[in-house]
Amino acid sequence: MLQLFDRQILDPDGRMVAKVDDVEVEERPDGRLAVTALLTGPGALGPRLGGALGGISSRAWARLTGKDSSDSNPIDYSLVADIGSAITLSVSRAAVGVDGFEVWARTRIIAALPGAGKDPQ
Amino acid sequence: MKKVFALALGILTAIGGFVDIGDLVTNALVGSRFGMSLAWVTVLGVGGICVFAEMSGRVVALSGRATFDIVRERLGPRVGLVNLIGSMAVTLLTYVAEIGGIALALELGTSVWEFFWIPFIAALVWFVLWRAKFDLIENVFGILGLALIVFAVALWQLGPDWASLWQQASTAAKPTNEAWPSYWYYAVGLFGAAMTPYEVFFFSSGGVEDGWTAESLPTMRGNVLIGFPLGGLLSLSIAATATVVLLPASIQVDTLAQVALPVTVALGKLGFAFALLGFFAATFGAACETGLSVGYSICQYFGWQWGKFVRPRQAARFHLVILLSTVLAAAVLLTTVDPILVTEFSVVFSAIALPLTYLPILIVANDRQYMGERTNGRFANALGTGYLVIVLVASIAAIPLMIWTKMGTT
Repeated sequence: MLQLFDRQILDPDGRMVAKVDDVEVEERPDGRLAVTALLTGPGALGPRLGGALGGISSRAWARLTGKDSSDSNPIDYSLVADIGSAITLSVSRAAVGVDGFEVWARTRIIAALPGAGKDPQ
Repeated sequence: MKKVFALALGILTAIGGFVDIGDLVTNALVGSRFGMSLAWVTVLGVGGICVFAEMSGRVVALSGRATFDIVRERLGPRVGLVNLIGSMAVTLLTYVAEIGGIALALELGTSVWEFFWIPFIAALVWFVLWRAKFDLIENVFGILGLALIVFAVALWQLGPDWASLWQQASTAAKPTNEAWPSYWYYAVGLFGAAMTPYEVFFFSSGGVEDGWTAESLPTMRGNVLIGFPLGGLLSLSIAATATVVLLPASIQVDTLAQVALPVTVALGKLGFAFALLGFFAATFGAACETGLSVGYSICQYFGWQWGKFVRPRQAARFHLVILLSTVLAAAVLLTTVDPILVTEFSVVFSAIALPLTYLPILIVANDRQYMGERTNGRFANALGTGYLVIVLVASIAAIPLMIWTKMGTT
């Protein structure tokens, strides 16, 4: 389980989704812990950073989204297809929906600039 | 045949792309004041960057992951964040210096005050980073950068006393009118200029952009072990021409014009034209590299999509970071700060940030999980550890020396 932390998450096309900022675990009946979801985003990373910076980022995130840290952009563990040097999911990036900031940046700023949708030449 | 061509292109691009504004200014400055007595520092720095570029290139070829990506995983989010902030700060400072360098090159060519060029250049750099393919950026500016070979040609043409140059270099014969603290201050700066931190981020991220695999290792090694040292020879040529022309005349290097002066003396207007082209290519190429590196490092820490291998729409945060960095860099330059001064700061601070950059690479290159069987052998580890000690010493000595010598002016 420790191997999951801070690992890059990719979708089946190789596109980057997020990093594993934290994990959600559940205690099984036999006493073992099992991972139920991967948590991403500043809400999840904040508590792991610790200190003043960590506190600020968790609280800021909680204010902006109205959610609790443990609910921070979760990716259900059942969506994990492969664990190699990165974690690969079985669904595409868009289907997972953890990229609030990316979408905001795309719609507000990047899409407005000419050539945003074209391949680089 | 195609492989040979690819290797040749890679080597040529590595040579032409090696020099940036830090190398241009610092080597000329050092040559004009200390002669060739600091040449050993350039050689040492080139050796260092070869060792670590090969390591980080190996990491990306074998694991498909760029260096900064792995840094957070291996060292944890807290240490990774410290690393990110330190590296980004220095890379941003270098970005400012490079854009300033482009403005100075254009000022040299047109006599239009560099200040007026800044908004135009910043927009152009951003536009290239927005639209141009990664390979195009690398290859065009790398090949054009070969114009700097004019410095080696000029050195030959000047017909210097080779024995005396060699003697200065091999015995580190510091001129008597310069003090030892200044000598060591410039040693640190020259070292920082040769081993710039962004180079390694850029190199490893470029490996992902180009889709390196284990098969790419020989080509990558060829580029690093042949291309970088030859690029280092260009740096030495710049220092040597300054030694031959500027040192005897006690000409100080405060402007890019003085860096080019030895070439003009040796080869006239044609030589000057080549030097200008070389300056422009080196600074523009380096500006692209540093701009991209700011984006790479922040995105690789947070896990955001990055890279020129996807459309801008699909890497919105990456391009947002680049856009904001470019605006910030332009804003700093528009305060009329002297780009040469910014460059001097950037090389010293690069030296300070070196341990942050290189220690993680050494750690990752020894990790079986990413490298499989190809972890560092004893030789690579010995070299890596040795350099880490040197880098630490340089990093610690940088600020005290800077204060003591008042940035080399005493």
